[in-house]
Amino acid sequence: MKIYLKQSFFVLSILFFTVGCEKDFLDRNNPVGTDEANFYQTEEDAVSAVIAAYDVLQYELTPSGHFRWFFGDVVSDDAIKGGSGDNDAASLGRLERFEGQATNELVQSEWLASYKGIARSNIVLERVPDIEMDINLQVRLLAEVKFIRAYFYYNLVTIFGDVPLLLKTLSPSESDQARTPKAEVWAQIEKDLTEAIPDLPRRSQMPLTELGRITQGTAQAMLLKAYMFQSKFADAQPLAEAIVNSNEYSLDPDFANIFTQQGENGPGSIFEIQYMNASNGDWGRFAEGTLTNVFQRARGQFGGYGFNIPTQDLVSEFSTGDPRLAATIFQEGDQMGDRGVFTKAATGQLHDYYAKKYFINSSEEAPTGDPNVNGPSNDRVIRYADVLLMHAEAAYHNGAEGAARNSVNLVRERARGNNPPFVVPPISVSGPDLLQAIYKERRLELALEGHRFFDLVRQGRAGEVMRAHGLNFVDDVHELFPIPLTEIQASNGAIIQNFGY
Amino acid sequence: MNKLILISLIVLCFSIGAYAQSIAVSGVVSLEEDNFPLIGATVVEKGTTNGTQTDIDGKFLLEVESKDAILEVSFIGMKTEEIPLDGRTQFTISLSENYSTLDEIVVMGYGTQTRSKISGAVSSVSEEQIKSTSITRVEQTLQGRTPGVNVIQNSGSPGSTLQVRIRGIGTINNSDPLYVVDGFIVGGIDYLNPGDIESINVLKDAASAAIYGAGAANGVVLITTKQGRIEQTPTITYNMYYGVQKPWKKQNLLSAEQYAILSNEAHLADGRTPLPEFSDPASLGEGTDWQDAIYETAPIQNHQISIVGGSKLSTYAVNGSHFSQDGIVGGEKSRFKRSTFRVNNSHQIFDKLKIGNILSYTHIKRNGLSENNEFNSPIIRALNMDPVTPIRKPDGTFAYSQYSDTDITNPVNALELTNDLWTTNRLVGTIYGELEIIKGLKFRPTFNLDVSLGTRDVFNPSFDLSDDPVLSDAPAGEKRLINNVLQEDNKYFQWLSENTLTYKKTFRDKHDFTALAGFSIKEWQHVYHGGTKSDLRTNDPELAVIDNGQDAESAISWGGKSDFAEISYFGRLNYEFNNKYLFSVVGRYDGSSRFGDNNKFGFFPSFSAGWVISQERFMQNIDLISFLKLRASWGTNGNREIGNYEFAAPVFAGQNYTFGTDEVITNGSGPIKVSNPDLRWETSIQSNIGIDLELLDGKFNLATDYFIKNTTDMLAPAPIAGFIGLDATTRNVGNGLNKGWELAVEYQNRDRPFKYALGGNITFVKNEITSLGEGGDPISANFLQSASGNITRSEVGFPMFMFYGYETDGLFQNQAELEQHAEQSGAQPGDIRFKDLNNDGVINQDDQTFIGNPFPKFTYGFNGKLEFKGVDLSFFLLGVSGNDIYNGTVRYDFTYVNRPVSELERWTGEGTSTTVPRTTLSDPNQNARISDRFVEDGSFLRLKNLQLGYNLPKEWLKRMKTKEFRVYISAQNLFTFTKYSGLDPEIGGGIDRGFYQQSRTYLGGLSIQF
Repeated sequence: MKIYLKQSFFVLSILFFTVGCEKDFLDRNNPVGTDEANFYQTEEDAVSAVIAAYDVLQYELTPSGHFRWFFGDVVSDDAIKGGSGDNDAASLGRLERFEGQATNELVQSEWLASYKGIARSNIVLERVPDIEMDINLQVRLLAEVKFIRAYFYYNLVTIFGDVPLLLKTLSPSESDQARTPKAEVWAQIEKDLTEAIPDLPRRSQMPLTELGRITQGTAQAMLLKAYMFQSKFADAQPLAEAIVNSNEYSLDPDFANIFTQQGENGPGSIFEIQYMNASNGDWGRFAEGTLTNVFQRARGQFGGYGFNIPTQDLVSEFSTGDPRLAATIFQEGDQMGDRGVFTKAATGQLHDYYAKKYFINSSEEAPTGDPNVNGPSNDRVIRYADVLLMHAEAAYHNGAEGAARNSVNLVRERARGNNPPFVVPPISVSGPDLLQAIYKERRLELALEGHRFFDLVRQGRAGEVMRAHGLNFVDDVHELFPIPLTEIQASNGAIIQNFGY
Repeated sequence: MNKLILISLIVLCFSIGAYAQSIAVSGVVSLEEDNFPLIGATVVEKGTTNGTQTDIDGKFLLEVESKDAILEVSFIGMKTEEIPLDGRTQFTISLSENYSTLDEIVVMGYGTQTRSKISGAVSSVSEEQIKSTSITRVEQTLQGRTPGVNVIQNSGSPGSTLQVRIRGIGTINNSDPLYVVDGFIVGGIDYLNPGDIESINVLKDAASAAIYGAGAANGVVLITTKQGRIEQTPTITYNMYYGVQKPWKKQNLLSAEQYAILSNEAHLADGRTPLPEFSDPASLGEGTDWQDAIYETAPIQNHQISIVGGSKLSTYAVNGSHFSQDGIVGGEKSRFKRSTFRVNNSHQIFDKLKIGNILSYTHIKRNGLSENNEFNSPIIRALNMDPVTPIRKPDGTFAYSQYSDTDITNPVNALELTNDLWTTNRLVGTIYGELEIIKGLKFRPTFNLDVSLGTRDVFNPSFDLSDDPVLSDAPAGEKRLINNVLQEDNKYFQWLSENTLTYKKTFRDKHDFTALAGFSIKEWQHVYHGGTKSDLRTNDPELAVIDNGQDAESAISWGGKSDFAEISYFGRLNYEFNNKYLFSVVGRYDGSSRFGDNNKFGFFPSFSAGWVISQERFMQNIDLISFLKLRASWGTNGNREIGNYEFAAPVFAGQNYTFGTDEVITNGSGPIKVSNPDLRWETSIQSNIGIDLELLDGKFNLATDYFIKNTTDMLAPAPIAGFIGLDATTRNVGNGLNKGWELAVEYQNRDRPFKYALGGNITFVKNEITSLGEGGDPISANFLQSASGNITRSEVGFPMFMFYGYETDGLFQNQAELEQHAEQSGAQPGDIRFKDLNNDGVINQDDQTFIGNPFPKFTYGFNGKLEFKGVDLSFFLLGVSGNDIYNGTVRYDFTYVNRPVSELERWTGEGTSTTVPRTTLSDPNQNARISDRFVEDGSFLRLKNLQLGYNLPKEWLKRMKTKEFRVYISAQNLFTFTKYSGLDPEIGGGIDRGFYQQSRTYLGGLSIQF
């Protein structure tokens, strides 16, 4: 009996021996990922942190859909939602009919993605300056994320108006942030871009392997957009001229070539969000491709989802023979690349037109992985023609009609290509007709590239045009979209909803 | 740490033993009813482990140690007799029928308890009940038999899991109960062969479950596998059944003719020209029945052999089984095969020391289909594919549809091309020792291993249904030009060491104490890696391995690992006074690596008490009532199934971008979510009060319980402002409440040749979310593609996962009605009128409300068994009442899908219909939005099982030297009474996205025991 007691006591004492080491035993960290305390230490970390900010530019379905063409084109008079019917992506339908509610996930998605980009920029601006590294690289990286932060604030201020202006990382408890008046947001956008411009390399200094990085011209053009949206024409015109005179950019002689795979990062490319088809990505797994290709392609045998359907109104706007029509829009009977001839029967749908600028051949699809999430096409955000047309518009408002006409005609001349002069002839009108001509040129040149709705808003014509398009557009309400309800709730009411929602 | 386990095992090696002088006694045990010898009755010298079993003639021979010994003679279902030797050595003993289950030993977690002394709420399923239905998974035995336990099939496909919910759902997160097999906490019980099970006990109230602390909030299911008994004569049993399965229901869909008529009408309604090929609908006839095309009659079979027995010092149970089931959809494409073997042994190696092992190995092959989703499941395709398209072209190759869209591809072709095989090899083993240190004090060390290797092999062959391969005219979903293969390996490894000390002592014959103290330590790890590659030379699935992929660029690999660890201390004290007053106190102190740094350990206490009223003097004269007990309990449990590392917020790689003309991926890393060092278990506090009653010596018994279960610290996404720029983390913010009442009654009579037993049970559970934290927003979930919205919403003050959408108010019969109504964008006469619930004059998202509840008001079961002269008939009915099902089986987001025949009742002009809207191509009014139109009553009553059996008479058996010979036929899911218009109302989660229905199965079986 004694012997048992002794042995048992021994065992029992072992049971409690673990008390000493149980803390270690229960400490388990995720083997995937790095602890934040060990990050932001090296030059490599700095580069990696900046790339994470770039990454947000690619977001399209994170957390849900918020393509630039949703707001720029589908909402505008240039396109309708499309898809397989009214029940397909119905929330986009509500957005396009200005029934956008504060609970619409597309609005929330735009907000969340923009602030993700801003948060990742902020953390770089806070942590990277302390990293010991190559000073030239450090300066350039900081300038790049200042651009990225400005870009996302531009998105926010143009979609929502006043938004919380956050320039440092916040803890989750700091959620009672009120909206900052948009003038201050604009001021910050201008400040970030102005600071970034001198620190950024020129496009011509970029090695081919680095194409797609933010350049001086990118930041200048973004600043130009910011001036234009605020109708700061006096500032805009000289800035546009500075971009022109930098001789960094030129118009691709072949308009149609811009939207091909070969045309990516071409001579007129100022800012393109980069996508690639060979990242082997999958739904949810690190895809570097775009979904725009599949979303905009016709359904049926063409294998797309058939969104962003051009309107008759847009098609009719093109003058006879304008080669840009065929480069912008597919009409029935057109050859859809190597995917066959466009007939309604082959699409299984009743739409007369499809968007073409982001069409890709089946031979250009992702060689591996799911081709739908691995679309190759870069998103052409700012083109040189856009800068010329902004210049024209600013110059017109500044009374420089000659300069305005000149810029428009450069764009038209390129559009004409090798056609005889009566095709897309130069314009010679002046006064309000000139302004209308500039507006029209913008619409045609930049059609289905995500600009139209915001152009109409900044030009003060949104109500007039959208109502003519048969939509229930209320002035001073529908220029902006509602603040997501979740944000109002999360801020404990510090955020006030936009007027009219 | 490993050292520790080793040392605790060394203890097993110490012991000494000796045997005293003995007296030989012998006799015959028979059945009182017919004087037939009882084979396998247990004869034990009372108070010792010395015992034997009767042989084929009912005879026994036993050496007892003392002349004052008392023989304890027992047999399952019989009253135990205690016979003093009184100087005799020869005995003739007859046992009589025992109706009472009060003396049953119930496994309670780290110990056992006599049923009559349990003060918590515990339900049991016996081997007898398990045997009466031919089940394929262990969870099915709980279905409809145990009040308070709701078991719903997640899918009808072979090998699919079941949803087990004990006393409702306690949390919006993981609501699965804890499974404990032979004392070992396991993750999932799919590896178990139902034929290996001896008993199942369900700990429902917090006090009973509290010994499992942070694992117990969703209840505990304790499973005990078959063991041999000391001195049991070797028993060899062979069981088999074979059967066929068929779908029990088909949905009525439009014929090709009807489809064409509606298509023409829709085109005209939208100002379009009808399709020319539909100009003469009548000529199209019935068209293709895609449901017939995917369903088939599928075989099911099971074979099992078991050998059980024991010597004076050792016991053994060896089982082997093989089960195979084809699917009613796709046959071998959803085949499930399971082979198991199990060896349970125990040895009294020394007088005071027993050791044992429980070892099982399971091999599972499961061919998977895409199920229960509206995108690519065969069912959703069969329901939505137009009836005009033939299955095959005239040349015999598969046809594609000119009308269907994207997801809705030829389901028969898609089934043929599916190759998705899961292979699992799982070894679960336990070794244990039991050392009696001093009389009444037992030390029990155990060590368990659970190793599971899971591999997945997917092969997607290349194909092209185009009529002209050059034009490649088939839609994207009907061709895959390059084949690809995916292979993935998963390794799960868990070890668990548990050591308990139990001390039992009775003072003055009246005060019974049992004390338990224990320590448990556990580690779990999952390692996985996988890869894919494209362009294999052939489409032969046998050659589908990664190295046969020829496209080097296409290779992708992934891998990772995940782990957790747990440490627990626990204790229990039971005190019984004179078998009349019962008290129990339990506490468990649980630590887990899953909890945040600020909350690594939690304490879970509980108390329970019972009063056996029938033991009181004033009850002694009431003959009717043989047993009456009042029970009450209170306790706290936790739910630690909150995911690994959820508290942490690491910087994740993979936030990449691409630069340059060569498009090179540049790596990016950034934080993704917020950390939460306070993260901890979900807590559930439950009070229970119950009554156990037996009348007429146990012929009638009843158990009823009322409970209130409060869940606090429920994990919910904490509302975090999006401008923080990080994803929300989950925090312990929510509260939920479940209240319920359950009742089980049974009446049996086996006194006459006609024997019968009838039982029934019913459970009412009411669920409510009482908090989602400060400013806690409702949580929307369960996105439905065809309506592009979430179906469910969990909101404070309402049950969890309620359906949330618009209320309909008939149809707009004319323009005037439309104009009178609130502004409803896109509406035309014939469209659905939605209610303007907030009276703001416009129909929008603010008009949504709760439109249905997926959880039943009550669930119930009936079972019965009738026997007459060797013939027996048993049945089992399952009922669910008051729940709703959201019928989301029509892909309204596509224009040309097929529809249910009910759409023929469509509105075609004023007064033609008040329920089915007009036909259109594009649905501008969004008649398909989430609304009460698709919410249906999901109540059903189903004859789950009906079995007719015949046992050969005992005289014959004796001549054949056989203990049992039984043949039976049975039918499963023979009748279902429901109003639900979809395929199957027995559906997990209440949302029908094209549910893989349960089959109607006819079986024939055989059982022989030697």
